Amino acid sequence: MRRHGARPFFLFPLLLLFLLSSPAWPGTNGYLEEMKETAARRRLQDDRYWDILLFYKPAAGGRKSLVDDPKFFLAPGGKRDPGAELSATLDAMFDGSLSPPARCRFPARYEWLKETLPIDPARLPRPDCPLLDNNLRAINPKSVSLIFASGHMNAPASMFGHTFLRLDSAYESPLLSYAVNYAATINPKDSGIAYAFKGIFGYYPGYYSILPYYAKVREYANMDQRDLWEYRTNLTEAEVRRMTLHILEMEGIYADYYFLDENCSYDLLFLFEAARPSVTLTDRHKGFFVTPIDTLRSVLAEGLIDNVVFRPSTARTIRHKAAEAGEAEVVLAKSLASGDASPSDVIDGPLPAADKARVLDLASDFTRYLYLKREIPKDPYQGRYLRILAARSTVAGPPPESRPLPVPAPPESGHLVSRASLAGGARDGRPFLEVAYRPAYHSLEDPAEGFNEGSQIVFSEAAARWYPKDEKVRLQRLDLIDIVSLAPRDAFFRPVSWKVRTGFATRDFPGGVESLVYALNPGGGFAWKVSPLGIVSLLAETDLAVSGRYDRSFALAMGGSAGIARQVSDRWGVLAQARYVHGVLGDRERGRRFTASLKLPFRLSRNRSLVLEGEHADGPSVHVGTIRLTWNAYF
Amino acid sequence: MKKLFVMVAALSLIVAGSALAGGNMNTGCGLGTVIFKDVQNQSTLVQIVAATTNGTLGNQTFGITSGTSECTQPKNYVQSDRLNEFVQANMDELARDISAGKGETISTIAELMGVPSTQRDAFNANLQAHFQQIFPAPGVEFAHVVDTIVSVSNQG
Repeated sequence: MRRHGARPFFLFPLLLLFLLSSPAWPGTNGYLEEMKETAARRRLQDDRYWDILLFYKPAAGGRKSLVDDPKFFLAPGGKRDPGAELSATLDAMFDGSLSPPARCRFPARYEWLKETLPIDPARLPRPDCPLLDNNLRAINPKSVSLIFASGHMNAPASMFGHTFLRLDSAYESPLLSYAVNYAATINPKDSGIAYAFKGIFGYYPGYYSILPYYAKVREYANMDQRDLWEYRTNLTEAEVRRMTLHILEMEGIYADYYFLDENCSYDLLFLFEAARPSVTLTDRHKGFFVTPIDTLRSVLAEGLIDNVVFRPSTARTIRHKAAEAGEAEVVLAKSLASGDASPSDVIDGPLPAADKARVLDLASDFTRYLYLKREIPKDPYQGRYLRILAARSTVAGPPPESRPLPVPAPPESGHLVSRASLAGGARDGRPFLEVAYRPAYHSLEDPAEGFNEGSQIVFSEAAARWYPKDEKVRLQRLDLIDIVSLAPRDAFFRPVSWKVRTGFATRDFPGGVESLVYALNPGGGFAWKVSPLGIVSLLAETDLAVSGRYDRSFALAMGGSAGIARQVSDRWGVLAQARYVHGVLGDRERGRRFTASLKLPFRLSRNRSLVLEGEHADGPSVHVGTIRLTWNAYF
Repeated sequence: MKKLFVMVAALSLIVAGSALAGGNMNTGCGLGTVIFKDVQNQSTLVQIVAATTNGTLGNQTFGITSGTSECTQPKNYVQSDRLNEFVQANMDELARDISAGKGETISTIAELMGVPSTQRDAFNANLQAHFQQIFPAPGVEFAHVVDTIVSVSNQG
């Protein structure tokens, strides 16, 4: 018995309290002291695995855990003191009075200490963990997949995507797997603006959750119309078990959730490190953002991924089935879904069996889609859906043959999201050079592979221009945000296309004067896919410009734009636009503006591109033509 | 610099997006019992933020076993809890797959019922042929679906 040794642990009054108030398992005190001594001698508190399990990261004056929940720490100062936390953890493991026992509440810490020290489990109090065992039996983890949910087509802000994990069991069907998700929990009583700021500045707690995978499939693929990419990792069963134990000890534990970095993606990286400590994932990210695609790229770079499976959203499936069917069949399927036609008419009708099956499949998919979008109430839905399916069940035999759904390029095949540009050109015959930088994310002229077609989201792009003739460098533009969402309408889906752009822009004034104005330019309208033009869009636009150069310091103009966006081949694209706005308030005269532009982007490689563009701007006493060739590097 | 980016991102949240966050666990006994999360009743802005930050409203759960206790239970309670839970939570998808005689949910219940892979085609065709028995009316509950699938496949 060496319990009276003058060791610093005993200086913690709380620890003393622990020992006094909770009579430890008879005869364990000496053993506990021995374990603590071994741990201290081997400096286990500095072991990388301890850092991983406790989310410790270097901070001013030592290390600090990213977890903010006091329940996660067994020592009072555990958030900043790995040694005290380790000592308190050992104390707790030997404390027979805790409920649930510490080894059941923190099974990953226990497993690691048991193997590393090692601890003889026979000398621990209360050796069984029924709840933990039940959970492990239900999950039965054998392997792990990283799931990437692509952006919503009509919401460029979701373009960053989302990542979560799937714990795969011995079952063949992935629907029986469990999804592990890390997300901010939002307080529904907060007002709108509060949401945005709290979400970004870490005022919402982030929690892990475990749900059946079918629930996540329904949420993303069926309701949100987001495609899922399922990346099967090569983690071994033992590694997956370690990861699962660590996930289970995070139940009900929060960390402040920061949208930009400590987000859904970043926290999953710790779980991979807990599974296989030889990989380095959480220290790879030095930038401002950690986006889900960064997570995916890190995991790929560490060689953790074996293969990938694409699970298309319902919307994509419906579009594909519609493309396979004839026009008349699409019309018929739609009227079945709206309740205007009866399924028995299809069955009694003249169509061949395969076409009947095709129409009814399309109709049931679309009926369910409308219900999930709350466009039909539950009562008519139940009856209509079941009548369509009952009719479908009478068409026996193999399902209709069709081409497999084309799988888009996977998200990691896209360009990296920061961009630096060098450009040369001439404005009304005066040559200039230009440099530009944007931290994120994707614009329509960037290489399209791996991104949603017709979606653009640009954060804070700045461009400076130099005219050698008059030795002048000027800030050409500073886009705070430039978002475009061109969502084509078709027989089934009728989305609205929209754009919003705001920031400082250069406008032309009479006498060849260029001047920086602050501009806000929202717009909304429709887009269609028209062969062979590509995505054709028509948007109504409002343009507000603020500058001392305007009468009354502002010009509000309204009008519209027409555009064509087409990917001609893997390399070439074409973007053409004509836009006219008419002054309605403020400086109405100079608010009037017509522009026509043509851009020809050319992809050199995944992370290099060229864009050749010409633009003509026309206004009161302004007729300016600009041509420019831009070289873009993505990193 | 970081502050600027943060501001920009904050602004973008305010202006961007129209996606909705999705639904939660299915708790109910019949067709169409998806729970629409409260988020869809919130203002557009709230929905946008939820979709963008991948946030969720309400409590996060460790829903490892959900149970089916609020529903009428199948008579043939010989099948596993897993089968009951799965059928209850996936009624609509299962109805669609049985009507077509193929699909992911029908393969899943075949696996849960221990149907050997060589007999899967027959299993699927048999369920398809009995669709109207398995799903006789819009108000059908999951207990009836499980019972009928079990009895129909035992005959088949």
